[in-house]
Amino acid sequence: MSFALQRNDLAAAVLAAGVHGFFLMLLVIGVSWQIHDPQPIMAELWQAIPAQVKPLPPPEPPPPEPEPLPKAVPKPEMKAEPKAIPKAQPESKTADIALEKKKQEEKKKQEELAKQKQALELEKKKRQEIEKRRREEDRLMELEAEQEAARIEADKLKREQEKKLAEQKRREALKRDEEEMERRMMEETLALEASQSKAREAKAAADRRAAEIGKIVDRYKAMISDKVRGNARLPENLSGNPEVVYEVNVLPTGEITKIKLVKSSGNAAYDTAIEKAIEKSSPLPMPTDREAAAHFRELELKHKPKN
Amino acid sequence: MEVSQNMSLLHLVLQASIPVKFVMGILLAASFMSWWYIFIKLFALKRAAKDTNRFEAEFWGGADLNAVYHRVSDQPEKAGELERVFEAGFSEFLKLRRQSGASVNVIMDGTRRAMRAAYQREVDTLESHLAFLATVGSVSPYVGLFGTVWGIMLAFQSLASVAQATLAQVAPGIAEALIATAMGLFAAIPAVVAYNRYTHDLDRLSSRMESFMEEFSNILQRQVAK
Repeated sequence: MSFALQRNDLAAAVLAAGVHGFFLMLLVIGVSWQIHDPQPIMAELWQAIPAQVKPLPPPEPPPPEPEPLPKAVPKPEMKAEPKAIPKAQPESKTADIALEKKKQEEKKKQEELAKQKQALELEKKKRQEIEKRRREEDRLMELEAEQEAARIEADKLKREQEKKLAEQKRREALKRDEEEMERRMMEETLALEASQSKAREAKAAADRRAAEIGKIVDRYKAMISDKVRGNARLPENLSGNPEVVYEVNVLPTGEITKIKLVKSSGNAAYDTAIEKAIEKSSPLPMPTDREAAAHFRELELKHKPKN
Repeated sequence: MEVSQNMSLLHLVLQASIPVKFVMGILLAASFMSWWYIFIKLFALKRAAKDTNRFEAEFWGGADLNAVYHRVSDQPEKAGELERVFEAGFSEFLKLRRQSGASVNVIMDGTRRAMRAAYQREVDTLESHLAFLATVGSVSPYVGLFGTVWGIMLAFQSLASVAQATLAQVAPGIAEALIATAMGLFAAIPAVVAYNRYTHDLDRLSSRMESFMEEFSNILQRQVAK
């Protein structure tokens, strides 16, 4: 039993390791899939253009090669004519001399003829050889010339393409520069507009704020004079509607620190009554807005018994 | 940017801080052990079920009890759980029968006790390591969570010294920390499934053994009463 169990244990361990290996592999593959998005995307666009243009020129030069053969054929026919001239000469000499002489002459003639023929043939051969050589040379020359022409043309094409490419590049660079300039100008104008509108907005906001503060100040001034009026005990001998002006120093809390007479009404009892009323009104109602409250540091209080 | 380039699993694990690595090691070991036990138990329970089926078929098929007893007691290492229970009960029965003057009750009680003891032993052997699976299933998520919390803690701690906090600065730390949770779950889920499955199998097996014990005692009692 112990042996069987041990074998089972080993098999179980191997299977467990297999399960872990399988899961680890799945994880590694699954995670590394998501890492395959590196960055070089911009450079490839530029490299692709020259590679596409260059392979185009080669197919054009090959067609002119078969031409030299037909041109070379007609030449040997023209040069074959001189053969006929020497043959005509021996026929004109026929006289009635002795047979031997004749024979000799004929022999001689034949020999001469044979010689001439041989010489002619030799000459012909030579000429043909020369002709042949010349033809070959011509053909070679022509071939070379054509190849040269093809090469020059290919060069020209290549140069043109390069020029075109350079031109294109230059134009693109120019275009890019222009676009850049345009963009910059746009940005500048935009920035300018933005700053201008910002300034305008700021000004409008400031105006609005000033108006608001003015309203608050007015309201609180009214409240202060109402309070003073409520606290005032006017003397009985008051006649008319005299105005008295006091300058009042106020703490931010509304407490009055100093009251100073600026312009008397002419009635001393009324003046003191108003002064007492102002003292009694301390603390004055102060706006919670700090900027509005700043207007109340030094306050000029004008007071009339009747509004 | 260089952080996001190298987010491979191996890199993340190697980059982890020492406590997180420790947690990962524990979880890997726990996962390996639990899978090992899962396979061991799988084989053991399958074999036990097969042996029980075979023995029950033999027993109820009218085989000679003495022959079965001799075969089992000669090579106990080849016998299944139920056969060993049978062997323990039958040998006790024979011993008690040989003593003269033992009453039916004494014989039957002794036999039953012997069978119960053998049964307990067998069930205990079959149940071994199941507790480990239960422990792994319930604890390893917490261990993984601990590793994750620790890793995230460190990631945010390193963020404190940086003026401008970006996601790229914490992301690798958090990813690395989350691996610990993943490992914890990876260890726990199979362990829980296997634990539940094996307890159920074991329950069925033990109830089969118990009913066999009852039926076998009935047979023996009939023989004594004859």
